Amino acid sequence: MIRLKDVSKVYEGATVAVRDVSLDIQKGEFVFLVGPSGSGKSTLIRLLLREEAVTHGVIWVAGKDITRLPTWKVPYLRRSIGTVFQDFKLLPRKTVAENVAFTLEVLGRPRSVIGPQVGQVLELVGLADKTDRYPRQLSGGEQQRVSIARAFVNRPPILLADEPTGNLDPATSVGIMKLLDRINRTGTTIVMATHDHAIVDAMQRRVVQLESGSVVRDEASGRYETMSEVP
Amino acid sequence: MNRVSYLVREAFVNLRRNALVVTGAILAVFISLSFAFGALVVNELVRVNTVAWQQGVHIIAFLKDESDAGIGSDAHAALFSELLTWEEVKTAVYFDKADAFREAQEILPPDILSEIDPSILPASLRVELHDIDLYQNVQFRLVGSPVVRKVVSLGDRIEALSSLSRVLNRLGLGLALVLGFGAVVLIANTIRMAIYARRDEVAIMKLVGASNGFIRVPFFIEGMLEGLLGAALAVIVVWAFSRNLADAGEALPLFNFTLRDSFFYRWGILFLIFGGAAGLIGSVVGLRRFLREADGARPVVGRRVLEEV
Repeated sequence: MIRLKDVSKVYEGATVAVRDVSLDIQKGEFVFLVGPSGSGKSTLIRLLLREEAVTHGVIWVAGKDITRLPTWKVPYLRRSIGTVFQDFKLLPRKTVAENVAFTLEVLGRPRSVIGPQVGQVLELVGLADKTDRYPRQLSGGEQQRVSIARAFVNRPPILLADEPTGNLDPATSVGIMKLLDRINRTGTTIVMATHDHAIVDAMQRRVVQLESGSVVRDEASGRYETMSEVP
Repeated sequence: MNRVSYLVREAFVNLRRNALVVTGAILAVFISLSFAFGALVVNELVRVNTVAWQQGVHIIAFLKDESDAGIGSDAHAALFSELLTWEEVKTAVYFDKADAFREAQEILPPDILSEIDPSILPASLRVELHDIDLYQNVQFRLVGSPVVRKVVSLGDRIEALSSLSRVLNRLGLGLALVLGFGAVVLIANTIRMAIYARRDEVAIMKLVGASNGFIRVPFFIEGMLEGLLGAALAVIVVWAFSRNLADAGEALPLFNFTLRDSFFYRWGILFLIFGGAAGLIGSVVGLRRFLREADGARPVVGRRVLEEV
C-alpha cells in the first residue's frame, strides 16, 4: 500500500529530517511511528501527503510514485488519504456536519449522497447529536472525532494521523484510539506518529522507531521502547 | 452542477461572514470608481460644451469689390464655388454688399448707421469648418487669393478653446485611468487581506484534497461581486449627482450641464464590467502568491548535497 525507498529529506540550511528511510506498509496494517521530537515522524507524514517534496528516494502510494506527481495532481492524492492532525485542523467557520461534508464536496459528490454519508460517519464517531455545532463549541476530544470523521467519510484506503492524541487527556485518547482501531478493522491502512507510550504499548501493533531521521527499529508487534530500554 | 452550486453558495456565505471586510472592499471600489466616473462626466461636459461653442462661423473673408481693378465680374462667385470644394470647409455663405448693410443695420445704432455709405461695406464669405484646428490652412489659402481684402478668424480664441479642451480631456481620461487602476489595486489588497485572514482555512482545504480551482472560485465570485456592487454604487451616485447638477445648472446660459442618457447607459455598463473585472483581477492577484506558497515546497537539494551533509 505504501512503500518508501531510500527516502531522505533535507531542509534548507542542511537540516536532515529524514535519512535513507525504506519501509513497506501493507494494506490494512496499523503502524506506529515513534521517536523523540525531531526524529522525523511528522516529516515522514508530510512527505506521504506531499506537503513536502523528498530530497532523495521514492515513495509509492497505492502503486504510484508520488515524488514525481505534478503539483496539480497532489489534491487527487490527498483525496485518497485521510489525515488527522494533533491540532485537529477543522474549518472554524463551518459546523461539524459542514466540516465533514467538505471532503465530499471537494470530491463533487451529490447532496443526496453527502447527507446520509455524513450522518453515518458522525454516528460512528459518536457526534450525531452535535452536527450543527461549530468547532469552538466542542471539547478537544470531540474536535478530534470530527477530524477523524472528516478523514474517514469518503472511506480512504489510507489514514495518516500525526499525534492525534497529543492534545488530549489519557481517557479521551483511549476513546480516539478505539475509534482508529475500529476504522483499521474496516481494512483502512493507518500510519500514526505518536509520543504516547501507553497507547503504543496497549495496542501491540507494528512499531517503526525513528532517531535523527533514520529507522532504528521496525517491530511487527512492538512496544514504544525495546525491552532493553525499559529501566 | 452540485459543485457549482456549492461554490456559489460558499461565495455568498463568505460574503455574509466577512461583512466588514466586504463592506470595506465595496466602499473602496465605490470611491475609486466614483472619482473615475466623475472625471469622465466632467470630461464629457467639457467636450459637449466645447463642441457647442465651436459651432458657427469660424472664418470671415472680406472681399475686394468686383469693380476694383484686376478683379473680374464673377470673381466672388468663382472664389465661393472654389471654397465649397475645399475639404476643410463644412459650409460657407456668401454675403454681398446688401447683406452686409442689413447686418450692419441689425448691429449698429441708427445715428452711426446714417453716417455709413452702404457701398463701402465689403462683400464677404462666412466659413464654418469641419475641424477648427485646421483654420490656419484655410486662412492661408484665402489670404493668398487676389479677391480677398482681409481675413478675420477666431484664431486665438479657437486655439485657446481647443487646447483647453484637449488638456481637460487628457486630464479627465488620465484621472479615470489612474483611479480605475487604483480600484484594481484596492480590490487586490482587500481580497489578499481576506485570504490572509483565512490562510489557515485555505491550508486545511488543501490538506483534505481541495484543488486550487475549488479554493479559488468562491474568492473569484466574491471579488467579482464586490467589484460589481462598488461599480453599481458609483454609477448610481454619479448619475444622480449629474442629474442634480443639470437641474441646478439650467439657469446658467453659458454652460450646458445636461448629458444624454446614452452616455450614462454606455459608460455605466462599461463601468459595471470594469468593476466586475477589477474584482476578478484583484482576486486572481491576491490568491496567486498565496496558493503557490500553500502548494508545498519543491525539492531544494539533491543527492549530492545530501551526501555533503
